Amino acid sequence: MSDKKVLSRDPRRYTLPSERALGAETHSYMPELCDQLQTGKISRRDFLRQATLLGVAAGTAYAMAGMPGGDVIRSASAGEPKMGGVLKVSQRVQAMDDPAIFDWVERSNVARFMVEHLSRTRSDNITVPYLAEKWEASDDLSTWVFHLRQGVTWSNGDAFTAADVAHTVSRWLDPAVGSSNLGLFGAMVEADADGVKRGIPNAIEVIDDHTIQFNLKQPDLAMPEKFYNYPTAIVHRGFGVDYEADLASNPIGTGPFELVRNDVGEAAILKKARDWWAGPFYLDEIHYYDHGEDTNAWVAALASQQVDMIYRLPSDAHEAVAALPFVDIHSVTTAQTAVMRFRVTEAPFDNLKLRQAVAACMDHAELLEKSFQGRGQVAENHHVCPIHPEYAELPPLKRDVEKAKALLAEAGYPDGITIEIANGDTEGPWMTDACAIFKNQAAPAGINIEINKMPANQYWEVWDKAPWGYTAWTHRPLGTMVLGLAYRAGVPWNECAYDNPAFDAALDDADGTFDVNERKKKMAVCQKILQDDAIIPQPFWRSVYKAANKKVKGLKVHPTLYHQFHEVWLDDA
Amino acid sequence: MVQLIIRRIGMMILILLVVALLLFLINEGDPTLVARSVLGPYAQPEQLNAWVIENGYDRSVIVRYFEWIGRIFAGDLGYSVIYKRPVNEIFWDRLGNTGILAGVTFVIMVVIALTLGVLAGMKEGSLQDRSISVFSIITTSIPEYASAVFLVGIFVFWLGILPGTSSMTSGFDPVQMILPVLVLVLYGFGYIARMTRASMAEVMTTPYIRTAVLKGLPYRRIILKHALRNALIAPFTVIMLQINWLLSGVVVTEFAFGYKGFGALLLEAALRRDIFVIEACGTAAVFVAVFTQTVGDLGYTYLNPRIRFK
Repeated sequence: MSDKKVLSRDPRRYTLPSERALGAETHSYMPELCDQLQTGKISRRDFLRQATLLGVAAGTAYAMAGMPGGDVIRSASAGEPKMGGVLKVSQRVQAMDDPAIFDWVERSNVARFMVEHLSRTRSDNITVPYLAEKWEASDDLSTWVFHLRQGVTWSNGDAFTAADVAHTVSRWLDPAVGSSNLGLFGAMVEADADGVKRGIPNAIEVIDDHTIQFNLKQPDLAMPEKFYNYPTAIVHRGFGVDYEADLASNPIGTGPFELVRNDVGEAAILKKARDWWAGPFYLDEIHYYDHGEDTNAWVAALASQQVDMIYRLPSDAHEAVAALPFVDIHSVTTAQTAVMRFRVTEAPFDNLKLRQAVAACMDHAELLEKSFQGRGQVAENHHVCPIHPEYAELPPLKRDVEKAKALLAEAGYPDGITIEIANGDTEGPWMTDACAIFKNQAAPAGINIEINKMPANQYWEVWDKAPWGYTAWTHRPLGTMVLGLAYRAGVPWNECAYDNPAFDAALDDADGTFDVNERKKKMAVCQKILQDDAIIPQPFWRSVYKAANKKVKGLKVHPTLYHQFHEVWLDDA
Repeated sequence: MVQLIIRRIGMMILILLVVALLLFLINEGDPTLVARSVLGPYAQPEQLNAWVIENGYDRSVIVRYFEWIGRIFAGDLGYSVIYKRPVNEIFWDRLGNTGILAGVTFVIMVVIALTLGVLAGMKEGSLQDRSISVFSIITTSIPEYASAVFLVGIFVFWLGILPGTSSMTSGFDPVQMILPVLVLVLYGFGYIARMTRASMAEVMTTPYIRTAVLKGLPYRRIILKHALRNALIAPFTVIMLQINWLLSGVVVTEFAFGYKGFGALLLEAALRRDIFVIEACGTAAVFVAVFTQTVGDLGYTYLNPRIRFK
C-alpha cells in the first residue's frame, strides 16, 4: 500500500480487507507502528520485525512496508530451481535423541528437516510464523496466543494440533527432562518449595485444536524468537510418553525428511520421504559427514569436493578457500561475539575501578583487525549489537591509557597488577590471538595479562567460575534476550555473577516496552549501566562465513548457522 | 628364559592394574562428575544425586574399581554418553580401523627404513649416506600436523588429485589412505632408518666383515649374508616401539584427516569427557605400550645371545 494513505490511528485504515483477514489489525499498537514507519521514526526492517511480533501475517507486514519477500517460506530465487540431488555437508554428527535437550546447533541442523518450529527467524534476523501461522500478544505482553497452521500432519499420519505444542512445551518446563528451555522460558517458570525450577500452573492453555495460549508471570517480548531456538523443535504428542524420547529410533516429524542413518561421529543421512506442507523441497537427500574437530579437514573435504558445503568457514582458511575456483564464500553479519567477562564477586575483579581500568585499555578496532581480519564490527562493552532492533547508539569508546593508569591507581594498584584470563579457544584460535593483542594493549597501563590457555571442554567446565574468562556467545535476534540470559541477577547463565537491581529494573522496563524508539531509549540505560560497571570488555561482533560449491544455489547463511535448506537446490541435479 | 617371560608378564599385569587404577580415579573418582557427564550440563543437583545413588556410585571407590576391572574382563566396556551406544560397539571398529592404517604404514615404513638404513650404513660418509641421513632427519623433524597441512596443500589444493579427508563414510576407499599413510611414513621411517644406519655402519667396521672382504667375497653376499642379520638386532627394539606409536600415537594424523580410528576416538572422548570411552581407550593404549615393550625386550634377548638374564 502507498505510504501516503496512512493518516489516522484507526488500524482498519492501514490495511486492505484481505490483509485484515490475515491479521493485520491484531494488536492495538499497530496504528502507532504504522505512524512511525510513515514518519521515518523507524526503519522498514524494524517495522517488519515489530509487526510480525504483533501477530501481523508476514506477507501482510512485508506488503505494508512496501518490500518484497512476504512469502513466509520462500524468497525470489535466482535461476530456475532444479528438483533432486544430494547435498553433502561437512558437519559434526551427534546423537539424535531428544530435541529438548539438544546442546549443539549441529544436532538441531539434522533434526530441523524432521521436526519443525512454531516460528522461524530468517537469515535477515526477522522472525516470521511457521508451524504457527500467526500469533497475538496482550498489550502488557504477558499473554501470547499462537494460532497453529491447519492441514499439517505428522509423518505417522496424525494431524498436527495444539496438543502437540502443549506436550512439547510441558516437557521443556519439566525439570526431569533437563532442557535448557527451562531457563529460556523463565517467564513460565518458578521455583517450587524445594527450590527446583519448573513450569508455573496454567502457563500452557489449549484453547482449541489449533489455538494455544501461554500465560506468563511477567512480560516477554521475545516469545516468537524463543520458539526458534535450537532446542525448541515441536515433537509429536506421544514423544516420551507412548514411545521413547529418541528421535533416531522414533523419527516422527512434520518435516519432509526421514533419518535413514545416524552414526554418531560418522554420518547422518536424510532422505525426502513425503510431500511437505510448505510446498516443494528441492533436495532429495541431505548427507552430513563428520570430519572431526579439525577445521582443516572440513576445508580439505570441500577442496577435494568430497562435500558441497562446510558448516562454518574458519577465519584462518579464507584465503585458501577463496582461491578455489569452484567455491563461493557466503557471509552474514551477526551478533555472535565473545566477551572478556569479569566475575564481579571474585577478587580482584570485585574492584570497579580495576575493571574500568582494564576496559579503558581496549582498542576494539585493532582487536577486530588483527585477530579476526576485520570480519565483523567493533563492540562497545554492553553486549547489544547494532543489528539488534533495540540497539541504542552511545558515544564511541576510545582506548585511553592515561585514564587506565589513573583508574588503576584509584583501584589501589599504583604500581601495576598481574591478572589472568582463562581462554579455551572455544570458537577458534583467533580467541588466543585476541587475548595476546589485548595483553599488549594493557601493558602500557601497568596491567600485565597472563593468558591461561586450556582445552575448549575444560573451559566450558569453568566458564561460569573463572574469575576472568573469555566466553563466546552465540547470536540472538533481540538484545533483550541476551541481556536477560546473561546479566539479570540470579539467572543460570549469569557468568559474571552480576547483581545490579538498577540494571534489572531498566531491563524489565525495556522488555515491557513495545514502541521501538521508546525501547531504544530504555535500552540505552541498560547499555550504559553495563559499560559503566565494566563487567564485559567486549572486543567485537563476528560475521560468520560458510563456503559452498558453486553448484549449491539458493543458500543463505543464518546468523546462528542454523540450516535452512528449503530454498537450496543443486545446479547439477 | 621361561622365568624371564613369567617375570615380564607379571610386571606387565602389575603396570596395567596400576595405570588402570589411575585412569579410574581420574575419571570416576568424583561420582557427581560421572553423573554430570551422563545426564548433561542442565541436570539439576537433585537429579545428579538420584543418579549417583541409583547406580551405586555412593559406594567406596575401591569397590567400584574392582567391579569395573571385573566388567572389563567380562567384555563390558560401559556405555558411551556421546555415541549413545555400548563402548564395545564403537571401540573394536575404531581399533580395527587404526589397525588397518597402522598395518599399512608399518609395512611400508619398515621396508623403506631398513632399505635406506642399510644403504646408508654400507658406506659411512659417502654421498649416498649423507643424502639419506639428511632426508630422514628432515622428514622426522617435521611433526605430523605440519606435514599433513603441507601434503594437503600440494595434493588437494594445488594438484587436486587426492581426497582431502579419510573418513570413509561411504565404505572403505584405499585412495583415502594415501595421505595419512604418507604422513605417518614420512614421520616414522627416519628414526628406524637412522638406527639401522648406525647399526649397519658399526657392523661394517667389525673384524669379521673385514675378513670377509679380504677373503674376496662378493660385496652383495657380505651385506646380505653376514652384515644384515647382525645389523638388524638394534633396530628391532625401535621397530617394536613404533608399533606402540602407530596404535596409540596416531591421534594427530587421524585428527587431521578425519580418519575414524582409535586415536581420534580417544581424542574426541577426552575433549567431550566421555568417561567410559576414555577408560577403554586409555586401558587399551597402556596395554599396547606395555605389551610391545615386553615383546621387544624378549625378542631382543632372543636375537642377541650376548645378553643373558638370570
